[in-house]
Amino acid sequence: MIVFAASDKGGTGRSVTSANLAYQRALAGDDVCYLDFDFGSPTAVAVFDVPAAPRGDGLHAYLEGHIGEPLRLDIWRLTEHAVLRDKPNGAGRLVLFPGDGSGGEFATDQDVIQRCTDLLLRLNSEFDLIIVDLSAGRSYAVDMALEVTARPEMRGVETRWLVFHRWTRQHVIAVSGLVFKEFGILEAGADRGHDKAVLRDAIRFVRAAVPDPESPLWSHVSPAQSAWMHACDETLRRLAAEQGIGDSRVLGTVPLEPVLQWREQLITDADVLSTQIANKETLEAFTELARRLTDDTYWGQL
Amino acid sequence: MRPPTDAADVVLACGEVRTGLLPSFQPLDSRAAAHLLQLRADERVRVSERPQLYALSPDTLTGVDCRLPAVDGAKVRVVGTVAARAVLTEGRVLQATAYFGAPASGPDRRQPWGHYLVRPGLLEPFGKLPEQAVAKGVLRGPQKGDLDLGLIAEGLLGQLRRHPLLDQNAPFKSAGTRLRWVARRAPDGEGPSITRFTLAEDQLRTVELRIPAAQEASAVAGLCEDLALHDWLLTTVVRMLDTSRLGAVGGAAAVLALRPAVDHLLHLWMPTARVDRTLSPLWEVLEREPGFSRQWQTSVQRIRDQLALQAIPLLREALASR
Amino acid sequence: MTEHVFRETTAEPSTRSVPLSHLSLELGHLYMEDIEGGSERLRQHFERVQPWVDAARADAAVGIRGRSPRISTCFLIDDYFTRFSSPAELVPLVLGEAARAGLVVDYLARESGCAVADKVPLAESIAQRLVESPPPGSYGLRPPVRETGWLANGERVQSSRASRAMTTAAEWRPPRETAARRHSIYLDVELWDHDKDGRRTWSCPFLASVWQLARLGLLRNEGEPVLSPRPWNSGTFPREWDDMPPLLQLNTAAAPFSAYRTCSVLPARFLPVEHAVRVVLDQTDVDSGALRQITERSRREGASVPDAVADRVAYVFYRGL
Repeated sequence: MIVFAASDKGGTGRSVTSANLAYQRALAGDDVCYLDFDFGSPTAVAVFDVPAAPRGDGLHAYLEGHIGEPLRLDIWRLTEHAVLRDKPNGAGRLVLFPGDGSGGEFATDQDVIQRCTDLLLRLNSEFDLIIVDLSAGRSYAVDMALEVTARPEMRGVETRWLVFHRWTRQHVIAVSGLVFKEFGILEAGADRGHDKAVLRDAIRFVRAAVPDPESPLWSHVSPAQSAWMHACDETLRRLAAEQGIGDSRVLGTVPLEPVLQWREQLITDADVLSTQIANKETLEAFTELARRLTDDTYWGQL
Repeated sequence: MRPPTDAADVVLACGEVRTGLLPSFQPLDSRAAAHLLQLRADERVRVSERPQLYALSPDTLTGVDCRLPAVDGAKVRVVGTVAARAVLTEGRVLQATAYFGAPASGPDRRQPWGHYLVRPGLLEPFGKLPEQAVAKGVLRGPQKGDLDLGLIAEGLLGQLRRHPLLDQNAPFKSAGTRLRWVARRAPDGEGPSITRFTLAEDQLRTVELRIPAAQEASAVAGLCEDLALHDWLLTTVVRMLDTSRLGAVGGAAAVLALRPAVDHLLHLWMPTARVDRTLSPLWEVLEREPGFSRQWQTSVQRIRDQLALQAIPLLREALASR
Repeated sequence: MTEHVFRETTAEPSTRSVPLSHLSLELGHLYMEDIEGGSERLRQHFERVQPWVDAARADAAVGIRGRSPRISTCFLIDDYFTRFSSPAELVPLVLGEAARAGLVVDYLARESGCAVADKVPLAESIAQRLVESPPPGSYGLRPPVRETGWLANGERVQSSRASRAMTTAAEWRPPRETAARRHSIYLDVELWDHDKDGRRTWSCPFLASVWQLARLGLLRNEGEPVLSPRPWNSGTFPREWDDMPPLLQLNTAAAPFSAYRTCSVLPARFLPVEHAVRVVLDQTDVDSGALRQITERSRREGASVPDAVADRVAYVFYRGL
């Protein structure tokens, strides 16, 4: 299965969350690969704690046709993260295909689409789950993902979309626009040959960095502040429903996690249990999201 | 003048085989296999059904003009064509090989392209071929700008994977393997021999051979496809056993994990079924050490035992309900 | 090689050979514009061709040790790009004017037979056999998508597509002939285009390349000869082009149609087309079984052929009318 991770804007926690999903699925025994298609700012190497960014042998160079095979990094073997280095028994493979450090956005043509298709078909026979992190907004990366998945040779490959957004008025409106409005994912997808209804049913939203008014994080706020937060939350829920991204289309919510505000990283059991730098709720949100990725009751027609 | 691809002229043959599961839910029958491998409209796919279903595509050519991989600072530019072909065994395991042969020396200038096209699969060096340095270089793998056989083989696999016959819904996930081989000419009067078979990381294997002058590179490619097929089967089944976590998880999970091996892989083991007779003795070397078939038999036995164990509760249930 | 007891015929490749002359001599191509000039134009054509035919015959005798060479003549009529007149009307006209110049047309072909002959898609098959000449630095990286329908003798102008944002644009680089000696003569040949219904139309040089391969005895379909001559003893010809076999043998005493070498006597305006043919032939990987048979037979006969297929083809371009 291929999962594309898209977002309306930068700073939604898309990359770090999808990297954590990859990690969680690999822990659960799946063979997982993570493709960094964030062409504007490829950062996955940092999230997975892999030493050097590739120069000229990553996904950019591959898609542009400069090299025949993109660099693949076995995370369990190469990471400098102390916890990750010991591959847990029973874990599946976890492989990162990094973007090039100096890479930028580039225009796609038929050759690029062909190379991208070939790569995804190849990985599909090898991995249980392929997570593709796409540049924010209406990007070339999103375009390419839509175009590639519309090709006839990809018809047998199951594809799902996660669209990340922050829990604010502006983000809710922007992300709804990204998916449903003019030049949005659905319209662009239909132009490229997707069935709009099928595509819509393959999209779920992830609310990221959501402050939970009940969280101990806010235990010190005044009653007035607390009431205001609850009211905001309620207003946002109504707005989201109006914008077509109500709860039924949400795969999950990731709480605001201070660790991730400071540093984009994988959240491990050790971060929660031994050093206790990260919140239990964050880790739980990741594991649950990872589980729901392939749980069909959360997907399909609404 | 000499005839095109005169086998006697070749002092070094090299190739890379990529092996993997066909991305299709059902194995292909002989007609579909022939259809898949019809790389050229006017050339027949060779299909045989005994002792197992085997389909071999016609060769396709890729023109190259580049350095050969070489160690010890040796540099040699070659021009010519690399041959690539695909094999489908039992409609299940898909392989692509890219290979070439090279003479001991060649002209110092590039010839008109037609000169190379009538010598398919031959790369002519500028000047003398540093045989040993190239043999080592090919096994080590290309540096930037060197001839990349893996790329050509993978390109062919990519083309086949896109075929409309394939539903991209393989019964289980598996990693492909790469097998690089080099065959140097055996001293006159000596038979073929296998000097080394190495398992490297990242699913890479390397094979070094000595082959008599009369043998064609395509026959050597056939031998190495057979080695690669069986090595892949072994690698895949051993990995299935590893990840099925026998004993650690419930029986039903192990059965689910191992069942694809029974359904799709166990009947494929048939060493040398397709290998040129003069080369088949090389398999016996590998049977003594490391003992391919021995490890295979052990793995198969473990799978069968496991499935038999899981059947006992069912049997008990059945008896109890009588 | 040891003898095998068990055999499966589908597992063994085989190539059937074809009979071969020393030289296939083409007396002309006939296009619409030629016939528009009436029989006068045809007459002038054959008059110009005639002296060169004698020269070509003399040349073919050189280097085969005094024996008289086997030579067959042929003529090609375009019924692919434009349909005009009918075989019943046109063929006797062509044969009559040739005879008037003292020439015998042994074999007559229709150009559409080079696209599809006896249901075999010849042009399509040859298109799948193109192996591009690699510019220096080609190490196996897949060339860009091939479906463009063009074939060049070198590297095209550097494209500026697929370039990354915020990087400086690649410097413009002129096209370059791969086999250039210092200066390039770059040629890019259109092999086909599509009509309004999306059907592929082969270009004239591409069909002419198939025609050369047929004359060189290098066409096979699954090992079987294709575009083989069919005897035609009747003096009358069909009313429809489609009712006429793609290749007719008109002279029962003729030497074999295919030959070790070809020579075409054409008006000088055909030069660009035949340059393009050379670019195609130089990058066509022909049936290896057929190639081997011809190499071996010609050597046995003491009439060795050049290695490269394109070098087996010669021309005489006569002065304009």
